[in-house]
Amino acid sequence: MKVLKRALGIALALLVAAVFLFPLLWVVLSSFKTKLELLAVPPVFIFKPTLQNYINAFRSDFPLQVRNSLIIAVSTTVISITLGSLTAYGFSRYTIKGSDFLQFWILSLRMLPAIAVVVPFYLVFRTLGLLDRHIALILVYCLFNISFAVWVLKGFFDEIPLELEEAAMLDGYSPPQVFLKVSLPLARAGLATTAIFCLIQSLNEFLLAVSLTTRVAETAPVGLSKVQTLMGVDWGLLSAGSIVFMLPVVIFTVIVRNELVRGMSFGRMR
Amino acid sequence: MSQEAMVNEREGPATAVEAAAGLRDLWWRRLLFIPTITLLLLLAIVPLIFSLGVSLFNYTLGSRAIWIGLGNYIYMFTDPQFWLATRVTVQFTIAAVSIEVVLGILLAFILNQRFTGMGIIRLIVFLPMMLAPFCIGLFWRFMFDQTFGIVDYMLTRIGLPAIPWLTHPFWAQVAVVVVDVWQWTPFVALLVLAGVGTIPAELLEAATLDRASTWLKFRQIYWPYLRFPLLLALLFRSIDTLKLFDSPFILTGGGPGNFTSTLSILGYRHQIMFFNVGMAAAISWIVVIIINIVANILIRLITPIKVEQVSTGL
Repeated sequence: MKVLKRALGIALALLVAAVFLFPLLWVVLSSFKTKLELLAVPPVFIFKPTLQNYINAFRSDFPLQVRNSLIIAVSTTVISITLGSLTAYGFSRYTIKGSDFLQFWILSLRMLPAIAVVVPFYLVFRTLGLLDRHIALILVYCLFNISFAVWVLKGFFDEIPLELEEAAMLDGYSPPQVFLKVSLPLARAGLATTAIFCLIQSLNEFLLAVSLTTRVAETAPVGLSKVQTLMGVDWGLLSAGSIVFMLPVVIFTVIVRNELVRGMSFGRMR
Repeated sequence: MSQEAMVNEREGPATAVEAAAGLRDLWWRRLLFIPTITLLLLLAIVPLIFSLGVSLFNYTLGSRAIWIGLGNYIYMFTDPQFWLATRVTVQFTIAAVSIEVVLGILLAFILNQRFTGMGIIRLIVFLPMMLAPFCIGLFWRFMFDQTFGIVDYMLTRIGLPAIPWLTHPFWAQVAVVVVDVWQWTPFVALLVLAGVGTIPAELLEAATLDRASTWLKFRQIYWPYLRFPLLLALLFRSIDTLKLFDSPFILTGGGPGNFTSTLSILGYRHQIMFFNVGMAAAISWIVVIIINIVANILIRLITPIKVEQVSTGL
């Protein structure tokens, strides 16, 4: 009876894994198919793989769009981690007037729908001539990523024992020195985790990117979304492109797999 | 509230050295908060107020803005498209979130077993929610295709009829929910699993010794530890589906016949396709208000004792 129950549990776990893995595998498989094989009825499972789709993707504007995505995501992350770590440390170590209110307000930015800021940012950036420029998306992404970084990093700073900082103070360190030379190095892992989440979130965003960029600063998802409107859908190019684009995120996920709870719950759980 | 008032002044310094140190501390604390708060205020509050202003104008890009007061809102509330989008958004939210919560709890218990290889299975299950919703939508559109899609192929193989995903109003809505459930059920499971991890081992052992029934065990032992993670998951998922854009936009473009057009898609259309900025601002404000109400209710459930005035970025 116990053995049976255990076997059933394992079977269920394997089934679940298959449900979540299959769509991804199917797209990976499809990215190595020719146009004819892609549209074959019934779908083909065994075929001679071709790299043509990847070659096509790299010959299009796609590498440029990936570059845009990376520039925007990395800049957003650097700004968010810098400002986020300062404020998170502040909330963690000092009591300021209205601290609860401020923290809650920052948390509530998690709920702000992107569509609500599309209209005003579109108008402002249009007036300033910043539409379709990297800086436009970087600024808007900062709104969402700074608030995220503050909350997640606060959790990491809270975990650093105060005694270590007090000892540094006794050694004559000033508060900024304590922060830079003691707290930040101790929060290294937390900073890296938070940075990876910021990168992923910025890479994955679509609504703001499609509204605020058109050509020059177009990110990879926006570029891919336009592939499908030109004479039918080039599924080979789309699947190859998405896989190249997603590969870094997959690697990032493997790196932060033990901190997923913290990252996905805005630091509310760990 | 002025920025400087937020920083606590210390009690009076005794010596000049201490005074200098106190001043330095004050500036240090200002540096910690002021740049971030200022930037966030500029990026969140200013645009929202600006957008509220814009929503009071009949403003199409390229022509002059004309003050019409609540005209956009009045037009919106008499527009069947708006009510359809609201209904669709709410339906998606209720359907997707309730399925995700139920399946998420089950998934958490499946993933809570211990055996070799469970680490890899968990990684596989938690991977989709990290990937761009845009890409996920794209993949499912490929799989839902009526002629060469793998989903219909599998359905017909096991003797079921092929389903017109993406072209039939009802099935297109089902498809959007399926994609959301596929991507986000693991998120609920992740939080539940973290909640299960906080249950003291003695408690679980005691229950095993007592041979408590499964339901009793769930109600008495698991539930108290799962309440917070589940409400948190409910909060995040409800808010995210209320602002759903990426996957229906990619899957169906809002069609057929606007039956998968969420409020975010409707707002985007007015903004980017019709250049009707005033209308887009009005719609986006409705999204903000709906999310505000839902978030307030759920947050009150999470912190029943400490009732706080909550707003979404306002």
